[in-house]
Amino acid sequence: MKLLTHNLLSSHVRGVGPRGFPLRLEATEVRVIPVEFNPDFVARMIPKVEWAALLEAADHLRLAEVPKGPTQGYEQDETFLRKMHHVLLEVEVVEGTLQCPESGRVFPITRGIPNMLLNEEETQT
Amino acid sequence: MGLDWIKNFGSIANMSDVQEATNQLLHVNLHENQRYIHVTESVPRSESEHLRVTIGATVPTGFEQVAADEVREKLRSSCKISKDRGKIYFDISVESLAQVHRLRSVDNLFVVVQELKDFQFKETKEKVLKDFEELAGKLPWSDPLKVWKINTSFKKKKTKRKKLNQNLSKEKIDNGGDKGDERDVKKELSNNALDSHILDYYEKPAIKEEISTLVGDILASCKNENDESSKEDTEPEVLKFRVTCNRAGEKHCFSSNEAARDFGGAVQDYFKWKADMTNFDVEVLLNIHDNEVIVGIALTEESLHRRNITHFGPTTLRSTLAYGMLRLCAPQPSDIIVDPMCGTGAIPIEGATEWSNCFHIAGDNNPLAVNRAANNISSLLTKSQIKEGKLSWGLPIDAIQWDICNLPLRTGSVDIIVTDMPFGKRMGSKKRNWNLYPACLWEMSRICKPGTGRAALLTQDKKCFTKALSGMEHVWRKVHTVWVNIGGLHAAVYLLNRTPQAFVHPSGQDKEELLSAKND
Repeated sequence: MKLLTHNLLSSHVRGVGPRGFPLRLEATEVRVIPVEFNPDFVARMIPKVEWAALLEAADHLRLAEVPKGPTQGYEQDETFLRKMHHVLLEVEVVEGTLQCPESGRVFPITRGIPNMLLNEEETQT
Repeated sequence: MGLDWIKNFGSIANMSDVQEATNQLLHVNLHENQRYIHVTESVPRSESEHLRVTIGATVPTGFEQVAADEVREKLRSSCKISKDRGKIYFDISVESLAQVHRLRSVDNLFVVVQELKDFQFKETKEKVLKDFEELAGKLPWSDPLKVWKINTSFKKKKTKRKKLNQNLSKEKIDNGGDKGDERDVKKELSNNALDSHILDYYEKPAIKEEISTLVGDILASCKNENDESSKEDTEPEVLKFRVTCNRAGEKHCFSSNEAARDFGGAVQDYFKWKADMTNFDVEVLLNIHDNEVIVGIALTEESLHRRNITHFGPTTLRSTLAYGMLRLCAPQPSDIIVDPMCGTGAIPIEGATEWSNCFHIAGDNNPLAVNRAANNISSLLTKSQIKEGKLSWGLPIDAIQWDICNLPLRTGSVDIIVTDMPFGKRMGSKKRNWNLYPACLWEMSRICKPGTGRAALLTQDKKCFTKALSGMEHVWRKVHTVWVNIGGLHAAVYLLNRTPQAFVHPSGQDKEELLSAKND
């Protein structure tokens, strides 16, 4: 699971609503897999990123060199864009967990795939 | 291309009714502002370099326009959409042949030998078949055969896909197959009262009206009678060939078998080729649609549409169809594209390959499906690794196990949703669709970005879908319907625009009421 995906995920435990974001990320196995750098893609993605959530996740993975926010003129700043590219797309959580900040419910990540299924009781009214 | 393309569909939304009634595509010449490329050089360096030919391509029925669009974009050629559904034609210079093979919306390719627009069929079968025999010697074979020859250098190798294509009813348990998985899968298959022909429609190309593939047996037996004389070959290597005839039309007094046999016989006499049904070098196509007869030579060995999927599931979608659906949504750079019922991941994988400047998410509730999708993604990594010499590079795609009715995605975070919704017949049941469809559309409207978001949804259960969609006009606006013929079954791809209205989270009780009201 990449950090860009984590940035889109939100807990859907009943009654939690927007307080289910962001999910708390813990990892026991992380891999770095290079992905083709596309500066245009990264630049356009920047405005869509929820920064606080990204920084928190990156922090939990103990990633270094993570920009704290968009810099002035970031669209042309290749160094900045490459760092963001790395954080968003190249860091893969292979084994770990995602925890709902409101309900405490834990979702496992196995072989890079988060399992977000809730059981019967959790989806009832 | 942009979103204007989609907005234009709004004005022809009514056309879908007309299309349904006539159920036939008209002969359309798409001449946009695009300049037509002419060969202007007076002294060609080498003859074959400036050879121009007409290429025919088979595409998923209903997606002819989308395919024509791709051809215009990538080859700068305008297309003619044939009356014979699922076929488009365009002219290219032979130098573009490699690019033609990279088209993602086409299933099969052939080079046109001759197009006979208004073939005068005589009254008796004998006379018609005689005409076909005589036709063989009169056709301009030379240039198309040159193209065929050049093309053989592009031909893809036969892979183990052939094996997978055959045993469709037997589920292949691949990675992570423990006893538990096997039981689940067997249950999956037996739960559906399957007709074998329905099983076929995903894995095999659209079933044509009448296909004749036999020539070999009859010709071979004829040849044995004239044994001694035919044994002397003038050329060191005799080409092997077969004739495939597709015939559609009410007024024909002959069968495709007969046409293939007699035409094939004449072709054999003319070229002194050897007839071979399975191990052929040249496949001659005889396509007859009412009064239109087109003779061609195949350029693809097997359909391109199975290209990305090495791990099959019970409902694997054709890559060409997946591509067409994605293209309908006009993905923009950095769009987030989600398939919330991805199955083996055909759609997101096609997306990640062709629109690598977008981010793709493949999700499903079935652990087998998600694992298969992940395996297919890995296979893709291996392929591109080999192709470009890059060591284990990743792609902008992730897989998640989730429930479509309760997606763990932020509200309004997704730009495009493309999915193959369960058909009653193969996965799930028609009864379940009544509950599933409204819940799906609801949740999809929540995650989809208001104003700019859009969705392309494939379903065979059109009645259920239309009912589920009614009452959701405040969030979904249907802008276009593509009528798709999948192996004889009539399905539809609905293109929806997400309205600008923000999603309002109802209380739990309200939601239940709203969803159940739709079942009345």
